[in-house]
Amino acid sequence: MVFWKRKRKSSNERLSSSDSLEASQNTKLTDNLNQNIQLVKEVFQRDTDFTLRSFHLFGKTPAMALFINSLVDNEKINRDIIQPLQAPKEIYNKSSGSKKYTLQYLLNDFLYFSEGEIKCELPSILDALLQGRTVIFIDGENECLILDTLKREKRGITEPETERVVRGPREGFIEQLQTNLSLLRYRLPVPEFRAEPIEVGEKTKTKIANCYLENIASDELINEVKKRIQDIGIDRILDAGYIEQFIQDNPRSPFPQVLNTERPDKAVGNILEGRVAILVDGSPYALIVPAVFNQFYQTSEDYVSRTLMSSIIRSIRYMALLFSLTFSSLYVTVLSFHPEMIPAKFVVAASSGRAGVPFPVVVEVLLMELAMEILREATIRMPQQVGGALSIVGVLVIGQAAVSAGFVSPITVVIIALSTIGSFATPSYNAAITFRMLKFPLIVLSGFIGLLGLAVGLMFIINHMLSLRSFGVPYFSPITPWNKEGIKDSIIRAPLRWLTERPRELHPKDKVRVDSGVKKGPSNPLANEKRGRF
Amino acid sequence: MNYAGTGGPFATIVGILIGFIGLVGLVLVGKRFPTKTIIGYNEIILGKPIGRIMSLFIILLFLVLVGLETRQYAEAIQGSILNNTPIHLAIVVMLLLCVTTTYQNVSTFAYIHFFYVPLILIPIVVILVFAFRDVEMYHLAPFLGNEPNFKDFMKGALVVPMAIANFLVIAMVIPFMKNPMKSMKGASWGYGFGALILLVVITMTIAVFGVEEIMQMFWPTLILGRMIQVPAEILSRIDAILLISYIYGVFTTLLSYYFIVVRGICELFRFHNYRIVSILAAPIIFLVAIFPEDIFTMYKYLLAVTKYGMLPLLLYPFILLSIASIRGLKRLPESEENNSL
Repeated sequence: MVFWKRKRKSSNERLSSSDSLEASQNTKLTDNLNQNIQLVKEVFQRDTDFTLRSFHLFGKTPAMALFINSLVDNEKINRDIIQPLQAPKEIYNKSSGSKKYTLQYLLNDFLYFSEGEIKCELPSILDALLQGRTVIFIDGENECLILDTLKREKRGITEPETERVVRGPREGFIEQLQTNLSLLRYRLPVPEFRAEPIEVGEKTKTKIANCYLENIASDELINEVKKRIQDIGIDRILDAGYIEQFIQDNPRSPFPQVLNTERPDKAVGNILEGRVAILVDGSPYALIVPAVFNQFYQTSEDYVSRTLMSSIIRSIRYMALLFSLTFSSLYVTVLSFHPEMIPAKFVVAASSGRAGVPFPVVVEVLLMELAMEILREATIRMPQQVGGALSIVGVLVIGQAAVSAGFVSPITVVIIALSTIGSFATPSYNAAITFRMLKFPLIVLSGFIGLLGLAVGLMFIINHMLSLRSFGVPYFSPITPWNKEGIKDSIIRAPLRWLTERPRELHPKDKVRVDSGVKKGPSNPLANEKRGRF
Repeated sequence: MNYAGTGGPFATIVGILIGFIGLVGLVLVGKRFPTKTIIGYNEIILGKPIGRIMSLFIILLFLVLVGLETRQYAEAIQGSILNNTPIHLAIVVMLLLCVTTTYQNVSTFAYIHFFYVPLILIPIVVILVFAFRDVEMYHLAPFLGNEPNFKDFMKGALVVPMAIANFLVIAMVIPFMKNPMKSMKGASWGYGFGALILLVVITMTIAVFGVEEIMQMFWPTLILGRMIQVPAEILSRIDAILLISYIYGVFTTLLSYYFIVVRGICELFRFHNYRIVSILAAPIIFLVAIFPEDIFTMYKYLLAVTKYGMLPLLLYPFILLSIASIRGLKRLPESEENNSL
């Protein structure tokens, strides 16, 4: 009962607060300048960056410019607003009465602003001020001019830290949505490119843009993405990661189901395949949906370098994945349950190395893996100045000293190093960390029931991955379900001229990338075979 | 194949054909009612009470089969790698895997089967390739067996359909197919492929060891894997790898049976909470699995189930077909049939 009462009370409170909001929503400007100023001043009177600048319009009518100076471009206000408006000018119509200009006239014919409007409601004026606009009250007008003077601090476009390439563009997204959109538009100069705005976050009012090509991406996908984003109920969106957690299909899964990238070229590549890129204001990451598993093992460089090399490198990455996931648990299995599996010489070496180690192999491997994870986490969180100290501790203490102290066997260190390096070879950080964490249950399982444990653990992981969907797209596609066209760009990367179809699992409206027939290879204009010289 | 002696390969072929007949029957009935599972058309063809009793029998049969197969796998695991671990652990682990997977939707079920095929096949193929050098052709002759005896021969042949009996799951998945009318093609391909592998494995095993030796072994193919050596000496014995692929194979088989049980129960009792049913079925299956005292009684039960359960089940679709055509039942319009999903 108490619970119910409390709930009702709180809902009542909410009601009353929304009542007061309603009241302020109806407040409108009057034609008294001081009264108008007072209305706004009441809200911002304790803020240091709220600025009022009074002047006389055309040297006669009292007027006031209001802005929040931490958000605006002061120079622009001086040059483009105050200066032209202050200058005395005979624009008064001689024939008619006292009021000889209109706000509409000022906006349409006098001021050079690409974005400006005329408003009279108090809430929209407050909103405008908070978005870095300048509000101009003029005596005798019950409306005001709102001019866009926003200037936010932003950093320059730099190379993405998380997705480095040897060859390929070096531009990365930054925090400003507008800049990021310009990076995309610059690469996709087609009228079908859409950047639909959505606003999420009750308090942060974060702007989000859904970017897609409307003649390629399927309507169901576009609507589903929009619906999932609109359904988000949260007061704050501080990074794209917030959005990712709300729109993913299975929130309990360890696997990432939304791809994120800092690279505009990667985003454009995915948009062209029929996916939707979600840009979030204030985050240098674009989210890409739907994401399938093998995308986390691809880089944009795969398409830049030649087919054979990138195919081999891709398969090396999958090998690295297998290493990072299974190597340490396979080691545990073999040493503690099935030493007959490996050649006898190696068994001797491995067990003589472990002669002084006081724990069973499972404990030893678990401890080392844990130390490795701690080391990794420490390296990320630490100030760069002490990085050198950490690598000394990491290399010497954990590598050398632990072995010579008889704490771990040298072969264990090698195995752990291999599995750790394997996980670092994954291009996508969030997929790599998933497999690093899944390694631990596998080690425990193989420590308990050996090979059966390892096999069953792997099956649990595979079954779970097969049951995952990202916006309805099976996580393992195009491998399962099999799709011949999709395979060409999954574990391997076929020559670009073979990749003529968009991924079928996305159900793109336009399935074929190039309409005209692909030309068959280069001709040899300089070869002399025909003339018979060679 | 213990019964047929060197006639093993031939008995296998006969067994495969028997199984194929059963498969054809199932697919034909399934195509007649492309929106219904076996539980659904049982009721239509035989009428509600009899149909439901028959469905119950089928479900019970598979329930027992899951248990016994689980036990068989656990015995194989214990016999080969986990000598000192209690057998219950292997059973529990496998059942857990099945439980967590059976309540997924049908497409996941299909993906799982598809994904594991290469994982199962590649090690088998590797072992067969490397086993070629140990083949002695005289082990295979005479083709029909030393003293052809129809009864023993058929006994051997009839074990075979059971070994690849998970094709029966097709009775449950036809309504979920994109194109049920094409199910015959898919089913035949799948069955033919599985049968071919089985045939080759049996032939190779007999060819390598000879009949007399095989009689002494429980799992000749595993021993075959233990025997062969791969070049480069990375692993001194690859039977462990074979065992992993065997575990995968067992899992897909058990999953099929378990799937039939869970979906069957849900459809029979109109209770569509797969999660609860699959969790509740697990302890029962566990009890069935630990019921046989040892591996010999387990095989006795398994043979009995095959004889009195599977073989009638192979004939069952034809009975259904004939009843359906006598009663003149044709496909019902789609709209009436979609209520069960």
